[in-house]
Amino acid sequence: MTAGSASAGKAAPDFDGLLRAIGHERDRKAFAALFLHFAPRIKAYLMRAGTAANMAEELAQETMLTVWQKAASFDPDKAGASVWIFTIARNLRIDQIRREKSAAKYEPDPSDEPDLPPPSDAIVLASERENRVRKALKSLSEEQAKIVQMSFFSEKPHAEIARDLGIPLGTVKSRIRLAMDRLRNLLGDLT
Amino acid sequence: MTMQHHPSDETLLRYAAGTLEAGPALVVAAHLELCADCREQVRTFEAVGGAMLEGLPPAEMSTDALERALALLDGGKHAASVTAAVRQDRVMAGDIALPAALRGCRIGPWRWRGPGVRISRVVIPAAPDAHVMLIKVGAGRHLPHHGHSGTEFTLVLKGAFSDASGRYARGDLAEADAQVEHEPVVDQDGECICLAALEGQMRFQGLLGRIVQPFVGI
Repeated sequence: MTAGSASAGKAAPDFDGLLRAIGHERDRKAFAALFLHFAPRIKAYLMRAGTAANMAEELAQETMLTVWQKAASFDPDKAGASVWIFTIARNLRIDQIRREKSAAKYEPDPSDEPDLPPPSDAIVLASERENRVRKALKSLSEEQAKIVQMSFFSEKPHAEIARDLGIPLGTVKSRIRLAMDRLRNLLGDLT
Repeated sequence: MTMQHHPSDETLLRYAAGTLEAGPALVVAAHLELCADCREQVRTFEAVGGAMLEGLPPAEMSTDALERALALLDGGKHAASVTAAVRQDRVMAGDIALPAALRGCRIGPWRWRGPGVRISRVVIPAAPDAHVMLIKVGAGRHLPHHGHSGTEFTLVLKGAFSDASGRYARGDLAEADAQVEHEPVVDQDGECICLAALEGQMRFQGLLGRIVQPFVGI
């Protein structure tokens, strides 16, 4: 598949609205709807990133519980629902990997991050950025999308990805650079 | 102040994806505190993560998964440990304030490691094996010649140094991969303090090898 293809062609449900309902009204129905959509996808993401199935399920549960607890701090101007949930799952995965070696953690939770000043020239609206990113991902060639996905889901540096795919490192680097340029160009239009 | 040297897109992508090793991730986080453009780029890559999450074919959850989750919602203090990291208000190294990213890390004392070179080991509690250090080099001094098999991430916190790839001042981040044989020289007008992390195993050569070896425990 190409990145983002599964979300193509259908109107996305209002996940931001569900999160607000959870944050403001502790709406359990909204949570259930969000859970049914995201938990299986979080599990799929974690499994692609190399987490064993049972641990992936536990972390998906933990991610959704964190969503419930932190929903009041969700700010759609900074990141949409799927991006916000992705960052929570990502951080819990980092914690899990480090917990396997040690007991503590340092990676801050996204909702704990201080508000840093916005870039000098322009503030890019999260929703606009995310729409552009979706479009950009769809416009990637299959090969570029594959490299971006592998970069995202795998711990492996590009040299190892190149070895796995049986292509030269330079090709991996040039594909990812083209994909990044495309993302940059599309986002550059915003400012 | 305009920074000239930033993390590569690959590095920012891996940071956003959560697949960068703990040491390099710490150095990148410290750069992000100083660089709005790279923060924006990380947000873009996080948006890539969100889009991929949406686009993934769902994995099958166990049949009682939602029930279990609902039962836990009002169950009190789940995940309280998540934010229980050690907090320090301000971490200092000599007269400079260190990046907020270093909060919670153990910072060792400056130790002499050659003429004009001092090193302080940084330990990330959650990733004690990560090779992270502060390096202080006197004005006009060479950082000793070395090579390594992984990528080295070096962020300038104070002062400046130059090598074949240009001049690096506060906020600039140098990413040197294994092919690079660099020989940085600190500016004449003052010392230079850097935060550095190594990815992968070092291949020690020459002086820096002897300098760093006792710290990174290889």
